[in-house]
Amino acid sequence: MTSNHPLLQLRDVRVHFPITKGLLLRRVTGEVRAVDGVDLNVLRGQSVGLVGESGSGKTTLGRAVVGLARPTSGTIVFDGEDVWSLGRDEQKRLRRRVQMVFQDPYASLDPRMTVGKSIAEPLEIHRLGSRADRARKVAELLEIVGLHPSHADRYPHELSGGQRQRVGVARALSPDPDLIVADEPVSALDVSIQAQIVNLLQELQRELGLTSILIAHDLAVVRHVSDAIAVMYLGRIVEWSLAADLYREPLHPYTVALLSAVPIPDPVVEATRERIVLPGDVPSPAAPPPGCPFHTRCWLRDKLGNPAACSSDVPALRSIRPGHLVACHFADEIRA
Amino acid sequence: MSSKAPSASRQGPGSVPALLDVQDLRVRFRMLDATIFAVNGISLYLDPGETLGLVGESGSGKSVTSLALMRLLPPQPAAEVSGAIVFDGRDIASLPEKQMRSMRGRDIAMVFQDPMTSLNPVLRIGEQVEETIRAHREVDSTGARARAVELLRLVGIADPERQLERYPHEFSGGMRQRVMIAMALALEPKLLIADEPTTALDVTIQAQVLELLKKLTMETGTAVILITHDLGVVARMTRRVAVMYAGKVVESAPTGELFADPRHPYTVGLLHSIPRLDGDVGTLRPIEGSPPDLRREPDGCPFAPRCAWRLDTCWEQMPELLPLEPASDVVAEHVVACHNPVTPTEVELARPDRPGFEPAPPPRAVA
Repeated sequence: MTSNHPLLQLRDVRVHFPITKGLLLRRVTGEVRAVDGVDLNVLRGQSVGLVGESGSGKTTLGRAVVGLARPTSGTIVFDGEDVWSLGRDEQKRLRRRVQMVFQDPYASLDPRMTVGKSIAEPLEIHRLGSRADRARKVAELLEIVGLHPSHADRYPHELSGGQRQRVGVARALSPDPDLIVADEPVSALDVSIQAQIVNLLQELQRELGLTSILIAHDLAVVRHVSDAIAVMYLGRIVEWSLAADLYREPLHPYTVALLSAVPIPDPVVEATRERIVLPGDVPSPAAPPPGCPFHTRCWLRDKLGNPAACSSDVPALRSIRPGHLVACHFADEIRA
Repeated sequence: MSSKAPSASRQGPGSVPALLDVQDLRVRFRMLDATIFAVNGISLYLDPGETLGLVGESGSGKSVTSLALMRLLPPQPAAEVSGAIVFDGRDIASLPEKQMRSMRGRDIAMVFQDPMTSLNPVLRIGEQVEETIRAHREVDSTGARARAVELLRLVGIADPERQLERYPHEFSGGMRQRVMIAMALALEPKLLIADEPTTALDVTIQAQVLELLKKLTMETGTAVILITHDLGVVARMTRRVAVMYAGKVVESAPTGELFADPRHPYTVGLLHSIPRLDGDVGTLRPIEGSPPDLRREPDGCPFAPRCAWRLDTCWEQMPELLPLEPASDVVAEHVVACHNPVTPTEVELARPDRPGFEPAPPPRAVA
C-alpha cells in the first residue's frame, strides 16, 4: 500500500438539506447549507481535529465521511476510491475501514445487547473471523480500552458513562479500521472522566498508528489529541494548520476570537487576558450572508473600516505560511 | 441551631453580616427501593455582593443545594431536608410558603442551564417578562411593558419592542439566556443563583453571556452563586470557590488561592485533568476510578476510593471542613476537609511525594 496519497481526500464537498413546505406537495422552499464547499486532505496516521460551534457543519461533514450523509456535490475519495460512486458491496467493504465513535455513550449502545455482543457486531456484519476468533478479539479490545475482559458479559446499564464510552471506542476499533471519526466523544462526560478518555484516544493514536478525525467544540480537548486542525464556520473551513501553529498564532479573525473566548482555568491568566467578544449569533445556514460567511460578526473588518470585499467576495482558503491555510481577504493584517 | 454560632464556614471578613449562611445542609431523596444521599452536610456563607463559584461534577450535589436554597425541592417525605439556611437574617427553612414565594424572584432569583425548558413555549416573551415584574411590583400593564423594554435593552437585545411580541422558539439559545437573565435581575435581587448558565451555549455566546452577568450584577450589587463544572468559568467570574464532591464541600478558598495552592486531593486531581489552551500539551493526569454511588451513606471520606493520599482513617471517618492554618490569627478563608492534605510540593506532581507512602488499602469489610 502506498502512503504517498492522502488516506482521505475531500473535494468541494457540499451537503445541503432541503427545507420543504406543505404536507402533500412538498415544495422545496429553501435549503440548509450544512456543509458548503469543503476541501480537506487527511494523511495516513494523521489526527485531524474538526472544530466549530453549533451549526458550523462539523458533524454533518463527519457523517458524510463515514457514509451517513450523502454529499449534494463534490467527491470523497478514500484510499483512492470515490466513496459515493461505488456499488453496494464495495461500499460495504469500504465501510469496514471507516468507523465512528458517537457523542452520547448512553444512546449509542443497544441496551439489550451485552458489551461483548456490541463490540463483536461489526465483526459479524463484515463476516470477520470465527466465533472463537471474535471472542478473543473482544477480550483483547476490552483490555486495550482499559476495561476487563469480564465486562463482555455486562449490559450497558451496568457501566458508568466513562466505561460506556470506552466500549464505544472498542466497538469502533473492532473491525480494524483505517480511519476513525469521533464525534464529540468526551463532551457528555464529567471532567475527571473526560481526561481518561482523552488519554485513551492519545494512546491509541500513538500505539495503533490510527488515522482519526476528532469532531469537537472544545478547543482545549482538540489541542491535546490532534496534530492538525480545521476550524469550521457556517459550513466552510476558515482555517487549517498544524495544531501547534494554530494555538500559537491563529490567523483567521474567527479563530482568534474563538480562542480568546475559551475560559482558561487560571485566575491570574483570566484577569489579564485580552478577550474579543463577538457580537450577535452565528447566522442561519439556511440564509448564509453573502461574501465572507464571518463578515457579519468580524472584528477585523470593523477595524479595517469595512472593506467592500468582505461582504461581496467569498474568500478562498489560501496559504499564508507553509501548511497554514486561511480563508480571509485580510489575513495578513491580523498581526498588525 | 443558632445561625450566630461561630463555625468553620463563617470566617468572612467579619464586620458585615453574611447575606447567606448555610449550616450543615443535608438533602436525602427517598425512593421506593433506595435513598439517595444527595447533600451530606454542607456549610456555606456568602457576603453581600460577593461571587461564589460552586464547582463539582455530576452528582456532587451542587444543583440540589441551589434548589434547597430556593426551597424548590419536593416536599416531605420525597425529599428530606435538614440544616439551617439563613438568608438576609431570615431562616428559609421555617418561613411560611407565602413569604417564601414573595422572596423568590424578588430577593433570590435563579437562572437555569437550559433556557428552552425554563421559558414557557406557548407564551410570548413579553408576557413572561411582564409577569415577573407584576408579580412583585405594583405597576399597571403600561408600566410593566416599559420596564420589560428597558430590561431587554439592558441585556443587549436589539429592537426590544418587537422582540417582546415573539415566542421563545424564535430566539437563539444565547438570546433566550439573555431573557432569563433579564427576568432574574428585573427586581434587583440580593442573590442570584446561576446554575450552569452557559453550559448549553457555544463558546462565543458564552463569552457574551458571562460578560453580561458580570456587568449587571456589579451594577446592581447582586451577590452571585455560580454553579458550574467548568473551572475556566470559575477563574473568570468568581471571587471565592467551594469545591463539592459527593454532597460535601471538600475545599473552599478565594479563587486565586484555590488555583495557586490547592490542598484537597480531589481539587488537585481536577486541576490536572482539564485540558488547557495555554501552557504545555502534556498528558492529562485523570482521577482514576468512578464517582461515588449516592445510594450509600458515606461512612468515611467519599473520595477515599479514588485518592492517592488516603490513610486508614479516611475509610472510616469523614474529615471536617477546617481552616488550613488553625493557629493563625488571620481570618482563614481557605478551608479543607481532608485527613491528609496535599503539600505544596506535591501539587505539581499530582501524587504523594513521601518516601515509603502507600495509599491505605480498603478495610476488609468493604472488599
